[in-house]
Amino acid sequence: MGTTASQLSKESLSEYQELTFLTKQEILLAHKRFTELLEKHEKDQIDARVSMGKIITLPELKSNPFKERICQVFSTSEQKDGSLTFEDFLDLLSAFSDSATLEIKSHYAFRIFDFDDDGTLDCADLEKLVNCLTGETNDAKLSSTEMKQLISNILEESDIDKDGTVNLSEFQHVISRSPDFVSSFKIVL
Amino acid sequence: MAGEIQRQNSHIYDYIGGNGYDREDQSLRRRRVSSPASDQNYPHFNWDSTPEDEDEDSDGGPKRDIRCIPLPMHLRRTIREVQQMRSPAVSRDASWKGRQMLRKLRNKCKEFLYFFSLWRKSVQMIGGNFGGGVQSYFVFLRFLVVLNFVSFFLIAGFVLIPSVVFRSTNHHQPTSNSTDILTFGNNSNETNSTEQFMVYEVNQKTPFYQYLLDFLSGTGFMEYSYLFYGYYNITEMPNRDFSYNIPLAYILTAVFYFAFCLICVIARMGTAARVAVATGSSTGVSSYSMIVFTGWDYGCLGDRATKLKQKNILYQLQVDLEEESRKRHEADLSTSKKVILYSLRVLMTVLSLGFIGGAFYGIYRATQFSQETTDKRKIVQLIIQYLPSMVITAGNFLVPLLCDKLALVEKYSPSTTIILALLRAVFLRLVSLAVLLYTLWNQITCGGINTKKDRKLCLDNHTEFQCWETRVGQEMYKLTMFDLLITVAVFLLVEFPRRLVVDNCSCKPVQWVGRQEFVVPSNVLGLVYGQTVVWVGALFCPLLPAINTLKFVILFYCKKITLFQNCRPALKTFRSTTSTFFFLVVLLFGWGLATVVLIYSLSEIRPSYGCGPFHSSSTMWSTVPGSFHNLSNVTQEFLFFVGSQAFSIPLFALSIVVMCYVIALATVYGRSIALLKAQLKLESRDKQFLIKQIESLSRQAHIPTHHAGVQD
Repeated sequence: MGTTASQLSKESLSEYQELTFLTKQEILLAHKRFTELLEKHEKDQIDARVSMGKIITLPELKSNPFKERICQVFSTSEQKDGSLTFEDFLDLLSAFSDSATLEIKSHYAFRIFDFDDDGTLDCADLEKLVNCLTGETNDAKLSSTEMKQLISNILEESDIDKDGTVNLSEFQHVISRSPDFVSSFKIVL
Repeated sequence: MAGEIQRQNSHIYDYIGGNGYDREDQSLRRRRVSSPASDQNYPHFNWDSTPEDEDEDSDGGPKRDIRCIPLPMHLRRTIREVQQMRSPAVSRDASWKGRQMLRKLRNKCKEFLYFFSLWRKSVQMIGGNFGGGVQSYFVFLRFLVVLNFVSFFLIAGFVLIPSVVFRSTNHHQPTSNSTDILTFGNNSNETNSTEQFMVYEVNQKTPFYQYLLDFLSGTGFMEYSYLFYGYYNITEMPNRDFSYNIPLAYILTAVFYFAFCLICVIARMGTAARVAVATGSSTGVSSYSMIVFTGWDYGCLGDRATKLKQKNILYQLQVDLEEESRKRHEADLSTSKKVILYSLRVLMTVLSLGFIGGAFYGIYRATQFSQETTDKRKIVQLIIQYLPSMVITAGNFLVPLLCDKLALVEKYSPSTTIILALLRAVFLRLVSLAVLLYTLWNQITCGGINTKKDRKLCLDNHTEFQCWETRVGQEMYKLTMFDLLITVAVFLLVEFPRRLVVDNCSCKPVQWVGRQEFVVPSNVLGLVYGQTVVWVGALFCPLLPAINTLKFVILFYCKKITLFQNCRPALKTFRSTTSTFFFLVVLLFGWGLATVVLIYSLSEIRPSYGCGPFHSSSTMWSTVPGSFHNLSNVTQEFLFFVGSQAFSIPLFALSIVVMCYVIALATVYGRSIALLKAQLKLESRDKQFLIKQIESLSRQAHIPTHHAGVQD
C-alpha cells in the first residue's frame, strides 16, 4: 500500500493515523507538500521516491544544518542516498511532531548526531556536531583548545561507563534531564 | 527486507532502545557478545513475545506500542499485522474497544482545538525567527488574553446581565416590590443617622473634550455606569417566585473569579513545574552536554534565524568555557581581594534597596497629593489624577537602569546577575503597587480608625469619599488606561523613529546605540503588573477584565509589529520552559497581592453608605452568612460538618500521609538511579579488565586472537 493516486484513500489515511503520531490534518498537509515535490509523471506512481536534493529545498529544512543527516536517517532506500518515499516522509514528520514521545525523539536525535553510523558518539562525531551547531565559517568556530576542552567536558559529564564514547542509553539519560528538548525537537509544516 | 525479518526471527534479540531501564536487566543478560556494534543501539522486535506482555506496559492498548517503535513504517505495518493475526481475541475485548473509542475522542478534540488556537501561525513565525524565549512571552500574553476573556463571561453571566435585566424590568414596572433604594431620599435603617444619598447628576450639555477626559479618568458619564461598583444595587426580585440576590452574586462571583484564575495558572504550570522541579536538583541546567545535545531548535526558519541560533550557541559555549576558567582563577584569589569584593557587594545591595525605597516614598507622596488637590483647569486636573501612575512608571523605568549599573560593580556570574535583576524588578513593581494601595487605604479609613463614630466623622469630612469603592475602581482603571497609552505612545514615538534614525544615519554614537532589542523579562513584568492591577480592581470595577482583554489584544499586535520591524534579536537568550514556569510563579505573586486586598476589603472595611449593593451591611462579607440561613436545613448541616473539626483534622492527617509517601517514593527513585549508575561503571570496568586478561593470556600462549569478534 502506498500513495496509489494523487489523492489519499480513506483506508490509508486512517492507517497512517494509527501508525504515526500525526493528526489527520497534518497527514493531508504532508501529502500535499510531498506531491508538490514530485515530477508530473511520478505523481501516479506507487512509492515514488524524492531525491535528497529536492527534500532539502523545503523551507522548513532548508537552513537546518542537519538536513542531510535527517534525510539519511529516515531514508529506506538501498543505495543509502537519502531519498524519501511518502511513508519515509511521514516517519520523519511523526518523529518531529508535537505528540511524539521522548523516547522516539531521543532515539532519532542520537541517530542524526551519529555521523559515521557506528552506533556511538565518539570524539569525531562530537566535533562534527559542535561545528554544525556553531556554523562552519572560520570566525564562527571554536578554537582548537576550546574544542578539546569542550569535548572532554562533554565526555566527563555524559560518559558514565568511561569508554570514551556516548552510547544511546547515556545520550537518553542526558536528554531526559532537559526540559526543552521535546519542544525544540519539532518540525511542523 | 523479508530475509532480514527472518533472520531476526531466528535470533532472540530483545527490544532495546526506547523503554528505558525496565528491560535493561533482561538485555544485559541476553545480549550476545558477537552481535556487531551497529545492532546494539538499533531496536529489534521480539517476535516471540506475547501480546499480554505488551498490554501490561502500555496504557493505550497494543496500538500504542506500534507508534513508539522506532522502525520504518513498512516494518511497523508488518509488526501490527503479525500482532493482529496472533491475537484476534484481544481485539474483541470490550475494554480494548473502550480504549479505542477514548483515543478517537481525544484525536477529535485535538483536531477541534487546532482550529481554535488563537494566533497560532504568528506565534510559530515569532518562535522560528526570534527563538523560544521571545515566543514564550507571546504564548504567555495569549494565555492572559484567554483568561481575561473567559473570566469576563463569568462576571457578565452572574452579575452584569441580572443587573441589566433588573434595571430594565424596574423601569417597566414601577410598582414592583423590589427594593430599589436609590429612588428614595433617605435611609431609615441606621437609627441615629440621616445620610444623604448621592444623587448622580448627569450633565447633559458637556463639550466633547469633557467626554474624552472622562473616558480617560473614569469620571463623569463613565462613573455612573456598569463600569463601576457604585451603579449596582441591592436587587431581590421577589415577584414570580424567583429571587436573585445580587449582593450575594457579586461577592461569590468575585471569590470564584479569583479561585478560577488560580486554578488556570496552576494547571498551566503543570508539566513545566514537574520538569523544573525534576531537573532543578540535578547538575546545572546549562551543562555542556545539555547545550550540545539539546540546544538546537529545529523550528528555526530561514537563514537569518539559523545563523542567529548558531551565534547564540557559540556565545553560550564560549561564555561557559570562559566562566569555568574564571572560576579556576577566582579560587586562587588572595584573602584581601575577597574581602574587598564582598564588601562591595554588600554596599551595592544597600544602595539598590535605597533606590527602591526612594521610589516608594515618591509614589506615596504623589498619591497623597493627587487625592487631596483639585484644580479648576481640566487638563491640569487630568495630570494630577494620573500622577501616581506616572510616578510608578518613571520609577519602574529608572530604578532597574540604576541597578544594572550597580550589577557591573558586583561582578556576579552572568546567570546570578540576571536572576538578581529580575527579582529586584519584580519586587519594585509589585511593592510600588502595594504602596499605592496603602495610600488609598489611608485616605479611605483615615489611618485605620475603626470605631464607627470616628469613621463617620472622617468620612463626612472627606466629601469626595462618599463612594470609596468607585474611587478605588477608578484608580485601577486609570492605571490600566495609562499603561496602554504609554505602550502605544512609546511604540509610535520612540521605537519607529529610533529605527529610522539608526537605519538612515551612520554616525558612530547612533550605531553604538543601535536598534532596539526585545528584552523579554521587562516585558513580562509589564504583563504581570497589568494583570495584578486588573485583579485588584475587579471587585470594584466589574468590567475591568473585558477592558483588559482589549488592552492585551492591542498590546499583542503592537509588540508583534515592533518585533518584526524595529528589533534586532538579543544575543543572550532566555530558556523557554524554565522561563514559562518563572513567569507563572511571578504571576502568582501578583495574584497573592490581589487576594490580600480582596480579603481585606471584603471583611474589614465598611462599605460606603451612598452607593452600591452593600450599603446596608456592616461589611461586604456579612451578606453571605445572612443568606446562608435561607438554605435548607440539610445543606446547612452538611456545610457545618465540612467546616467542623471532625472533618478537617482527618483530612489534614490524610494529606500529610500522602505527602510523606510521595516524598519517600522520590527518594527511593533517586537512590536507585545512583545505584544503576554505579552498576554501569562497574560493568564497564569488568569488561575492560576481562579484555586485558584475554589479551595477556593470548599473548602468553601465542594464540592469534580475533580482535574483531571480541572488541565491541
